[in-house]
Amino acid sequence: MPAESLFSIRNLTVEYHTRAGDVKAVDDVSFDIRRGEILGLVGESACGKSTLGKGLMRLHRVPARITGGELLFDGRDLMSLDEDEMRMVRGGEIGMVFQDPMTSLNPVQRIFDHLTETIQAHEPETSIAAARLRAEELVERLGIRRERLNEYPHQMSGGMRQRVMISLALTLRAKLVIADEPTTSLDVIVEAKFLDLLRELRQEFGLTILLITHNIGVVAEVADRVAVMYAARLVEIGDVRQIFANPQHPYTRGLLRSVPNITLDDAELYKMEGAPPSLLHPPTGCRFHPRCPSVMPICSQKHPPLESVGEDQQAACWLYSKEVKHD
Amino acid sequence: MPPTEEKNTLVKPETETWKSDMERVGFVRRLFMARNWYGADWWFVAISTVMVFAFIFVALFPGLLAPFKFDQVVGTSFLAPGEYPDVPVLIVRSESPVEKLLDLAVPAEAIRPTVGVIQGAPAATAVNEQSKTLDAQLISENKGLRLRPRIERYVTVEELMVAIDTGLVQAGVANLKEFDAVASSYPSLHSGASITSETASAGGFRMGTNDIGQDVLSRLIWGTRVALIVGFSSSSISLLLGVPLGLMAGYFGGSFDRLLSLLMDSLYAFPGLILAIAITAVLGPSIYNVIVAIAVLYIPTYYRIVRGQTLAVKEEVYIEAAQSIGARRGEILWKYIYPNVIPSIAIVFSVNVADAILTGAGLSFLGLGMPPTIADWGIDLARGQRYIQTAWWLITFPGIAIMLVVLAFTMMGEGLMEIYNPKLRER
Repeated sequence: MPAESLFSIRNLTVEYHTRAGDVKAVDDVSFDIRRGEILGLVGESACGKSTLGKGLMRLHRVPARITGGELLFDGRDLMSLDEDEMRMVRGGEIGMVFQDPMTSLNPVQRIFDHLTETIQAHEPETSIAAARLRAEELVERLGIRRERLNEYPHQMSGGMRQRVMISLALTLRAKLVIADEPTTSLDVIVEAKFLDLLRELRQEFGLTILLITHNIGVVAEVADRVAVMYAARLVEIGDVRQIFANPQHPYTRGLLRSVPNITLDDAELYKMEGAPPSLLHPPTGCRFHPRCPSVMPICSQKHPPLESVGEDQQAACWLYSKEVKHD
Repeated sequence: MPPTEEKNTLVKPETETWKSDMERVGFVRRLFMARNWYGADWWFVAISTVMVFAFIFVALFPGLLAPFKFDQVVGTSFLAPGEYPDVPVLIVRSESPVEKLLDLAVPAEAIRPTVGVIQGAPAATAVNEQSKTLDAQLISENKGLRLRPRIERYVTVEELMVAIDTGLVQAGVANLKEFDAVASSYPSLHSGASITSETASAGGFRMGTNDIGQDVLSRLIWGTRVALIVGFSSSSISLLLGVPLGLMAGYFGGSFDRLLSLLMDSLYAFPGLILAIAITAVLGPSIYNVIVAIAVLYIPTYYRIVRGQTLAVKEEVYIEAAQSIGARRGEILWKYIYPNVIPSIAIVFSVNVADAILTGAGLSFLGLGMPPTIADWGIDLARGQRYIQTAWWLITFPGIAIMLVVLAFTMMGEGLMEIYNPKLRER
């Protein structure tokens, strides 16, 4: 499949202005989301995954701010849009599914109101009746009976609410859905069903999905490609099979080794040394160097660029850089 | 399954003790103890809601319930509840058509009626003088009627009564209290109107009369209307101004929020009644000015609560979700934040009405609120306090009315708050 880019993120930097100082939660991150793929974005907690996800929709509020970079979505520069144009992109072209389905729907609005409001926010000329018809068709496709549209969020289960969230993104045929840990608060059965649904929707609607998660298993299950973040930076990105079979960045290696699996037998599970750094005072050079098992002198001085390390696989590590002479 | 059965038998007695505990106590005890049981606060809300609706009914239809208009002079002043004034009245046989002195008027050539009086009583001179004035009136009207009763004098009340009873005289004149003392022995007699003026003999008012002879009960009933108008309209104005301002300040934040909060906090820091006094003193006494003064006073209450709630709700995920579907800012404010904030406003409103009524009465009491032509509890209190030693009923009844209204609204608000927000319970 020719890899056509739907969303090009170039040098995106998002800063939080706090009393302790400016924190770069996303630092100089560049990657492409290809049309029709499911891209998994993994990393530890607080490494900037969610901030990146919101940054793609320019959803930040004070104290967060996008301080640099380019967002090229479907040939348009999102950074140059004004707030009203951006509003049309949100929901219309990029949808978002949040982590906690219990709190991501307005408790005093019926499901039906959520859906028709989305439609009317973008297409004010659509009548309520027509909007309702569209909403009914859509939720039935997602496995929710149309009568349940009249219910309030608290009358629905977590899995159903998450499907409602997806339907909010799909009512206007969004091209990209950013799913921010959509299955974290669901049990494994519902999670599996939800992931199946994501795959089906990708087939049916040609949807592109950015799946933000810290669950490696989920990524292995559904993603086509995977991006690994560490301390606000992207350390590795590539085809999911290649990365799982042959991880290049020491952090990715450690991450994959620390996932329990059934072939582990009696061997002890790998435990990475140290703890993630504070983003307030990140380490110089490569941010992983204090914990890296194969650290070199250059690692603490310069940040490595993202370089190709195989077919459809890139890593940001001096180990693979042509600039550095290896022994 | 045996284990679940076992569990059931373990749990059952406990629930039953709880139930029997609740049922063992009487109604009144249950009313007060209700607060100790989870979810039993509906008693509070139910009772106070009934009271609130009763007051609203009274305020809507004072004409139906009040025996008189509030500014009508209906009797002599300072009549105690149920008391009749001791005025000379006409005493006649029950079947007699005569009710007042003027009924005794006859054509000029007819036989003059006889009226019995007690020797030396002031009533005797009174009936003479009154007859002369009325006669003069009749002559000027020129209908051919004259009022020239012949006066028969008796030594004791009993003699007079017997004379009336046996028909020796058409009517008698005696002081009401004298008649009341012997009335039980002469069941065929009854007292008619006062011989001096119509209202002078009126009595038996449930709550007595005030210093100018107005019915205290009627003024109380008409005063409910004023109290509730002041309470509801000033609270509504504060709500209509405070809620949108709070929503906007909480949602938009920034310097708008800071400036407004500064203003509201300084209003809030001011002692309430003093601020209201200052405003009404400038604007002058009228019901509208009282409403405006109290409304200004309570805007910060709504503002602060709504702003705080908005700040909390703003951080909810569903607000972010609404942004992510492209909802406008106005829509988010109106459809997402406002409905989630409104329940707490309803509670504040109820308590606020009570507060406003109290402040309104306080202003009137100080003579800064209503013009004196209006039936208002505060005015009645202020007028009554001068006579506190002689006429307790002047301030007692308006005082109780204010207390009950304030209690009803406060209880309803607090009860609703406890039901709505169980976290506040057991505080």
